Amino acid sequence: MSKEIFVFVECKDGSIRKVSYELLSKAKEISQKSSSIVYAVIIGSNQDVLANQLKDFADKVLIVDNEKLSKYRWDTFLSVMEQIIKKYKPYVMFGPSTTTGKDIFPRLAARLNGAIISDAVDVVFDENTLKIKKPLFGGKIISWMKCKDDSTFFVTFRPNSFIVENRSLNGELIKENIDVSEDSRIVSISTEKRETKKVDLQEADFIICGGRGMKGPEHFQDLEEIADIMGGRVGASRAVVDSKWRDYDDQVGKSGKTVSPKLYVGCGVSGALHHTMGMDTSKVIVAINKDPNALIFQYADYGIIDDVFNVLPALKEELKKIKKEI
Amino acid sequence: MNILVCVKQVADTEARILLTSDKKSIEIENKYNMNFFDEFAVEEAIRTKGKVKDCQISVCTYGSNKATEVLRTAIAMGADKAYLLDNNGYDIEDPIITAKILASFAKTEGFDLIFCGRQAIDDENANIGAMMAEFLNIPHVSAILKFDVVDEKKARVESEIEGGKEIQEVQLPALFTTQKGINEPRVPLITGVMKAMKAQINIIDPATLKDLSKGMIDESASKISVLTYETPSARPTVKIIDGETPEQKVKALIDILKDEAKAL
Repeated sequence: MSKEIFVFVECKDGSIRKVSYELLSKAKEISQKSSSIVYAVIIGSNQDVLANQLKDFADKVLIVDNEKLSKYRWDTFLSVMEQIIKKYKPYVMFGPSTTTGKDIFPRLAARLNGAIISDAVDVVFDENTLKIKKPLFGGKIISWMKCKDDSTFFVTFRPNSFIVENRSLNGELIKENIDVSEDSRIVSISTEKRETKKVDLQEADFIICGGRGMKGPEHFQDLEEIADIMGGRVGASRAVVDSKWRDYDDQVGKSGKTVSPKLYVGCGVSGALHHTMGMDTSKVIVAINKDPNALIFQYADYGIIDDVFNVLPALKEELKKIKKEI
Repeated sequence: MNILVCVKQVADTEARILLTSDKKSIEIENKYNMNFFDEFAVEEAIRTKGKVKDCQISVCTYGSNKATEVLRTAIAMGADKAYLLDNNGYDIEDPIITAKILASFAKTEGFDLIFCGRQAIDDENANIGAMMAEFLNIPHVSAILKFDVVDEKKARVESEIEGGKEIQEVQLPALFTTQKGINEPRVPLITGVMKAMKAQINIIDPATLKDLSKGMIDESASKISVLTYETPSARPTVKIIDGETPEQKVKALIDILKDEAKAL
């Protein structure tokens, strides 16, 4: 049985997503224990520059370059991935649990009659087995799972699950010549991209989240400014999104996005289960709320009990100072 | 037009969930709901029925006898027929098997349009929709935000993509997974609830479905297995930052985040 670990590299707006580096870094760590090698698979059009950036993170970089692949579609990408997997027969393929990953990986696993574990948060190589850690029921239970047989194994991981480590591998670039087939039953009419230079909510290291205690959409400007200082993103609770103060895209929680930033700051967030299930894997949680009995304090590492509108200006000033020091 | 909606019964967000002492299985408090994202799927089917002629909505779930509750909820909302693909109380971990069963049922009955929720809120897998579409060899679109039938053979959908939205035209039959925001799921009227209580639920043994056999869908066919379950380690008690003024508190917080938590 081959032991190669393949990583599907996801690109966004002309650059490689951070989650792809995270997966490559973890894959390399595993491969050192299982004496295997890591392949990065980058699919797209004119991505030579990007492929070069992957060299440090993989032993081999497979490049599939075709103008039909300039934009992600499951049908074209799937036809490429299918051929690559049939050719190389990797032991496992890692991918991101993102909008794209969630779209393509299930269909890929079904087509190749593989095994799949989705939305995982960790993997260890132990007793000659890949053990996959996956939270269930919004993190109330953690499961450790494995693939039972030797079918091709697919695992998708949440962004921010692993640390990026550049091991300067200087991997080999391999161009793959692969026919791309398109499913004519789907026709794209138009695409609308949000104009934003901001980091993706799920990939942000810093998230400042507003709850109903923010009192209205106009007060989120303070949070935006703080997020900008930190290079992070503003999140919102369900109540805030349901009140149309913020877009659904910003929603953190069970019915929104699951996030694990290095630092999460909740402002006027009560801490309903719906919300905490989407953020309790954050590394450090700070809660600011004037109600000392707010549920969020049960999840927070640090708390400030005070009116959020009195705290935010000071927080903004202090964070500005810190960023200047660095 | 024949529409199929696939739904799942999931533990309520507030339900208590415990591990058995051998850590091999999970005990769920008896509080269940229709999966949050599936409500949008049922609602979109009902709205579509209101716009096209001769339309019938079937709703199905793969689950235990208890899961008939969500089928009745769907009927109370406005679905016409309900099917329980009976798992005999036996939970299969492998999503590929669940998708195979649902796809085989869909193939047997024949549908123009299939709606599923974007993902289940218990396992957050987001697997079933795209897998079913693959097994049925039909196109799929994930996380749709707007849906319109153009004619009997075509639908126009807006869906969520990485960093934006896309509008696509899709030939039917096709499968769509529904995202929050596509509609506001209705609360069933009392007349709907009365109808649902009396509605017949068709119970099907998946092993009798087309192209399936018992050996293909039982535990031995599962390609993945659970090694063990754990309860997450509890977070340490919150440290409340003291100070006379908000400014002092913030200063103290920043120091702690820098020195103790190394988060800045």
